[in-house]
Amino acid sequence: MQGQATQIIHAYRQAPWRVQRQWIGAFLLAVVGVAMVAALYLDVTARTAVAGREIQELRTEIITIQRENADLETQLADLTATAVMEKRATDLGYRPVQPGELDYVAVPGFVLPEPAILLAADDAVPQVQAQPPEYTQSLLEWFDEQIKLGVWR
Amino acid sequence: MRQQYAVRSLIIVAGLVLAVLAVIVQMVRIQSSDQAKVFLSQGDRYAGEFQMFYPERGEIYDRNGHLLAGNRTVYEVGVSLSEMESADSLANILSKYLGLSYDEVHKKLTESPKSWEYVVIQDYVGVETVDALQKLVQDMNDADDSRLSGLAFKPHLERSYPENSLASNVLGFVTRDGRGYFGIEEKYNDLLAGNPVQIWVPRDPNKATEIPRVPNGTTLVLTINRDLQAKVESILDQALSDYGSPNGTIIVMNPRDGEILAMAATPRMDLNNYGNYFSLYDDGSQYNRSIGMSYEPGSVLKVLTMAAALDTGTVRPETTFIDTGSIEVGGITIQNWNRDAWGQQDMVGCLQHSLNVCLAWVSSQMGTQKFYNYMDRFGLGHSTGVDLSGEATGRLKVPGDGDWYPVDLGTNAFGQGVAVTPLQMLMAVSAIANDGKMVTPHVLYSMLRDGHQYNVPTQYAGSPISAETAHTLNNMLAISLEQESSQALLPGYRLSGKTGTAQIPTDYGYDAFHTNVSFVGWGPTDDPQFMVYIWMQSPSTSIWASETAAPVFSKVAEQTVILLNIPPDVVRGQLVTK
Repeated sequence: MQGQATQIIHAYRQAPWRVQRQWIGAFLLAVVGVAMVAALYLDVTARTAVAGREIQELRTEIITIQRENADLETQLADLTATAVMEKRATDLGYRPVQPGELDYVAVPGFVLPEPAILLAADDAVPQVQAQPPEYTQSLLEWFDEQIKLGVWR
Repeated sequence: MRQQYAVRSLIIVAGLVLAVLAVIVQMVRIQSSDQAKVFLSQGDRYAGEFQMFYPERGEIYDRNGHLLAGNRTVYEVGVSLSEMESADSLANILSKYLGLSYDEVHKKLTESPKSWEYVVIQDYVGVETVDALQKLVQDMNDADDSRLSGLAFKPHLERSYPENSLASNVLGFVTRDGRGYFGIEEKYNDLLAGNPVQIWVPRDPNKATEIPRVPNGTTLVLTINRDLQAKVESILDQALSDYGSPNGTIIVMNPRDGEILAMAATPRMDLNNYGNYFSLYDDGSQYNRSIGMSYEPGSVLKVLTMAAALDTGTVRPETTFIDTGSIEVGGITIQNWNRDAWGQQDMVGCLQHSLNVCLAWVSSQMGTQKFYNYMDRFGLGHSTGVDLSGEATGRLKVPGDGDWYPVDLGTNAFGQGVAVTPLQMLMAVSAIANDGKMVTPHVLYSMLRDGHQYNVPTQYAGSPISAETAHTLNNMLAISLEQESSQALLPGYRLSGKTGTAQIPTDYGYDAFHTNVSFVGWGPTDDPQFMVYIWMQSPSTSIWASETAAPVFSKVAEQTVILLNIPPDVVRGQLVTK
């Protein structure tokens, strides 16, 4: 039994075309592997670059929108300023109420409203978590870091 | 033959492998060399830049959410010198649009140091001007005309006050360097301004990360009621015009919690043009007379003297005093305002007729120590602690001071020889309207920061008198107003209050022809919901507070009950019983 197995292995080793095919197969496998890694790396890098650019643009957009928001709030306040509203009311034929012209009505359950803060408070500042380097580091940077750390010495 | 090819192939492969290995070795060697570190550090210099992110200055709102101070976009107009093609054209256009001289702009463009890449032509340029300039640039670009190349517009925010001069004395203002002056803007400058953050911003998009959000400055909500403030300012302006007074102030406060609902003073300035400051004010104390200027208040201080006397048991409301028209205190004779003798009076009569002689007698009966202890407990001579910048403390001379004389015990009792600010008086008298508890006046209602609202709690500045004393005096002052047929009365509402007419001290004694007129009052008497303090300087139509400050109080009270929805006493009684 053992002799038969030895014969088969020996015959296999002896076949030159088998050896060649093994080399070619291994080489092609390596090439495909490297190509896949390279393609993946290029794809990830390209997408990271696009995302990074979008982040930069969004950052600019945020600042612009915040400024526009502040502008619009001020414009709204300009349009509803006391003097403006008083003039508009007067132009529309209104006049200030006199004490004797007021009627007070008892409304069961009514509670005099406290000063309501009508404006929305600024959103809570999100805690920006530090991103682990795995999400930001390129392959080359990782290699570089590993070399600097002396892992591969 | 086949073996020969195999050998050659192996040699070629080995050669290629060696070449690849050599390249890799060289790469590693170069990357790890000392020179690489130098090149890397040079590269880091251009990999990004530190940018300073300035938070948006916090807004200021009134208690009902009306914006009193916000921000608006303005632009810095500049030129990128490396991109500039025609200095003449740029100078011509910019001088025309920005109102600058051609030579000035041209000099900036052509004579700036060569190391400069960018030169600022003008900052704080309005949106309309920049829109027009941008349209011109766009039109020229469309026509392939590049003479305006290099022109740049950098937007940023500037403080803006939509209500212009409304509540200017309370708000203060912000200069272009971002610093607040006076009022709320100065007092809460650090909170409003927020914290600028310096962040490294990489140019490599691969390294772009989320920049930590720079929180805006804290938004403040004030206790001020914008509509009431506008009314009170209008009433003050009208009163100054009617009575020929150069300046004055009116404060409206809630005696229960110290919230200042309105604080008007003159002169006021348009906060969007704060450059007018120096033409309006001689010094900072004039910016808000309610807190910055002290004066001798006169008879409004009799309220405090009577409160102290009642609290110590020195007198009761029905205690009688025979007014002979004069009294000697510390060797000096004190007379009534009209130099008459008013005969037998009870304490209500003393207040109603504002008798100096009677109140000097009351303070003398109380004694020096008790009287000044009470004045100290009422906060005279101390700052109120109001959250506004620029508060004066006034002056209360006490025994032991070099300039205190025994006669001061008598004169201080009716508000002469003592200096207070209007807000100090209002705070002191709040004890009478608030069951003996004195409230600390404040303007800040709440702060909004990081999505949270922080309300300012009511703070008490002590209880100088008992609740019983406060109720008694409250009623006495209501009766004295009613019996005097005062012009301060408001139909439908029972109010308490006291006038004050004070001679003005000069370097040569008291001015015989000019007075400071004041009034302190509150209502409704049985449930005080507002307090008003009025001070007008040197009215020319009448020197008496009863003819000037008292009717102003009535007008302010009328507007206050309307805007605060305070029904007349009868209606309020019905509402309570229901």
